[in-house]
Amino acid sequence: MLGYTIRRCLSVIPVMFVVSIIVFLLVHLTPGNPAHIILGEDASPEAVAQLEEQLGLNDPWYIQFFDWLKQVVTGDLGTSVFSAQPVTELIFSNFGPTFSLMILSLLFILVISIPLAILIVSLRKTILDPLFTSASLLGVSVPEFWLAILLVLGLGVSIPIFPVAGYMPIAEGFGSWLYHLLLPAFVLAILEIGIIARMLRDSMLDSVNQDYTKTARAKGVRERDVLMKHVFANALIPTTTVLGATVAGLLGGTVIIETLFTIPGIGQLLIDSIHRRDYPVIQGVVLFIAAIYVLVNLIVDLLYAFLDPRIRYDE
Amino acid sequence: MKKLALILFGLLGAIALFGCSNNSSSSSAGGSGEPVEGGDLNVAMGSEPDTLDWMYSGESATRKIGWHIYEGLFALDKEYQARPLLAEDYTVSDDKKTYTITLRDGLKFHNGQDVTANDAKASLDRWTKVSSVGKIASSHINSIEATDDKTLVITLKDVYTSLLTDLAAPKASAIIIPSDVAEAAGEQPLTNEQFIGTGPFQFESWKSGNEIVLSKFADYKSRDEEDWGGLTGKKTAYLDSIHFKVVKDPQVMLNGLKTDLYDYVQSIPLDLYEVVTSTPNVEAVTSSNGYSVITPDKSEAPFDDLKVRQALHAALDKEAMAKATYGNDDFYELDGALFTPDQTALYSDENIDNFAAFDEEEAKKLLEESSYDGQPVKIIFSNDNADYAKIAEIAEQQLEAVGFTVELESYEWATYLEKWGDAKNWDMVVVGWSPFFSPNQAGMVSRENNSSGWYHSDRWQELLAQWGTADEGEQQQILAELNKTLYEELPFEKVTNISALDARTTDLQGFDEWYGPRFWNTWKTK
Repeated sequence: MLGYTIRRCLSVIPVMFVVSIIVFLLVHLTPGNPAHIILGEDASPEAVAQLEEQLGLNDPWYIQFFDWLKQVVTGDLGTSVFSAQPVTELIFSNFGPTFSLMILSLLFILVISIPLAILIVSLRKTILDPLFTSASLLGVSVPEFWLAILLVLGLGVSIPIFPVAGYMPIAEGFGSWLYHLLLPAFVLAILEIGIIARMLRDSMLDSVNQDYTKTARAKGVRERDVLMKHVFANALIPTTTVLGATVAGLLGGTVIIETLFTIPGIGQLLIDSIHRRDYPVIQGVVLFIAAIYVLVNLIVDLLYAFLDPRIRYDE
Repeated sequence: MKKLALILFGLLGAIALFGCSNNSSSSSAGGSGEPVEGGDLNVAMGSEPDTLDWMYSGESATRKIGWHIYEGLFALDKEYQARPLLAEDYTVSDDKKTYTITLRDGLKFHNGQDVTANDAKASLDRWTKVSSVGKIASSHINSIEATDDKTLVITLKDVYTSLLTDLAAPKASAIIIPSDVAEAAGEQPLTNEQFIGTGPFQFESWKSGNEIVLSKFADYKSRDEEDWGGLTGKKTAYLDSIHFKVVKDPQVMLNGLKTDLYDYVQSIPLDLYEVVTSTPNVEAVTSSNGYSVITPDKSEAPFDDLKVRQALHAALDKEAMAKATYGNDDFYELDGALFTPDQTALYSDENIDNFAAFDEEEAKKLLEESSYDGQPVKIIFSNDNADYAKIAEIAEQQLEAVGFTVELESYEWATYLEKWGDAKNWDMVVVGWSPFFSPNQAGMVSRENNSSGWYHSDRWQELLAQWGTADEGEQQQILAELNKTLYEELPFEKVTNISALDARTTDLQGFDEWYGPRFWNTWKTK
């Protein structure tokens, strides 16, 4: 297991290298540059050229790339062209809100979708099952931004229970942090709750009438234990795969939710940097997001072995 | 089970009903009582400035925050007249080439240092290098010297009566900063540690993408006179702090205003005007926001031919264009002058009769007589502003109706700026120009570059030179001549004067807007 983990960690390096080349090329081949933006619409071509020179934008792209790569290898992602703040500092200050949002959404997903799927499977012969299928389809189909607007108008403006926007760091009080995040985290979770609950229900229903569950029932095992120890445990592997993708998907979903709820997260940082062509920040953030994707996939792979002892990576 | 379903549907229904309900009671402003000290003001702004260096940048977002932090020797009052701010007084020599400016006593920077003439000299030296307005002024300036702690002497190469207006311009402004900061920053934008001015509020923090915080400057030395409006006169900071928060979505801004999350919100789309006016305890704030223009590239065919530009001028129905773009006529004003009517000292309505020259038949005739050979005319614009897209689309229809072949290309702002820089990429651009305060600051005509569509006019430059030496009476004649030149040489097509829409809570008292919101002399009742 340790050997596998090390190998997986090392395999991240070429992935990140390829990602960094693609990002660098995409960013630098897109028209527009920070010198134009900084100097504004009144700028003379001479002033733009002078600032481009100062920012090192006149060098060929491959020289700029290797200069940047040399910095990255030493753990320095550069500094923002606009705020002159180190990119790592910007990423970490903006990742706090995004991470909070993701964790709370994930909590919503797990706490709602898993018990719901188990409940539906145990009551599979009642009207709840088709009702659940319809409701979960609705959850999957409802656009996040529409639901967010509706909830804000209903529970933020008309019945002012929640704030309509904003974010409070956890350092300024857990209650305040939670109060500001509940609505956005719920909106972010709703789609994934539908997906995970449906996935888990389908996987469990596949196992419900398998020979091994019949055998368990024949041995006199209680239905509740059959469901939890046999059916649910077996359904966890495919669900974990989807959950891994979900965590990565949440990172994408936060971009919209952060805008709608004015949360200063990593998605906002990335969008602002793209508009301003703040190259070091765009490259740093994309590299960071790619690293999270790779890390989540690694954790999912390692979880397989934990969930199913038959899976051995080192053999 | 049925009960559960009913509850769920009921809850959703209630949310939808509350969400869609529109409160129809009209807004009412509270009376202005005694000023209240203290409180934090939350301002939602749609776009974050690229820098808070108000000397370096002409950006609106920089200006609206910058004028709380910094001050110049002179500033414009409500009537757009230059009046002293940090300056106590000034004298002009008989040959009008030497300006001797005395600073007020007791002025302090936010870092506690006294303001001296040496700081003013270092600041103005930097202004002549980094500011678009300062660069114009620098061609007339021979030297800037501090003769003692309180006295600054500016010697000119030639008579230039616009000097005070340039020093007072609230765009890439001649702000006074500590000399060590000015020298350290040089031609680079100021950094967060260098945002040190003399204004009633001081810079506290900037969380990128989140908020910019200013706090009350306890040692602020105000002028003693009444509030002259604009940016000068008596200023008092009643508020403890101002939080400029970045909020991208206008609907979020309005929701925040309704629920007391924000006290003031900037740049609301005009189609939300009815929502603003029908919300209790909320008031609409409108301010002059310059004008929208269509600028042809005059360096190449087809618009290097005046006849083609005349055909363009006759083809555009600006009234239809303004109505379709801005809708509510409270927010646009069809007026052909170079300046807007609220700029009383600069406005002349002479020689603008040819502004509304829409005549389709005349346009067809002029186009036939011109050198236009049917080649496609490319209009570019930034799709970050929905108004530009509408103007471009309507212009396309109107131009095609008289025989032009038109192509539209839209870009996001950064790409647009790059495309705009090269004449090969476009034949016409649609863009908006925020107010300017002297003819030589009019970016769309004053220099032969992309902003003016490479407008080369000896006549215009001669008028600008005359402006530099003219007294007030002569300036009115020059303004009339400038208007005349606009409609004879047709360097650009002015569409319409426009206003911006902001909104504020009625808890905000003493508030006055001038070319954007200013929060000194303003307090919160709760």
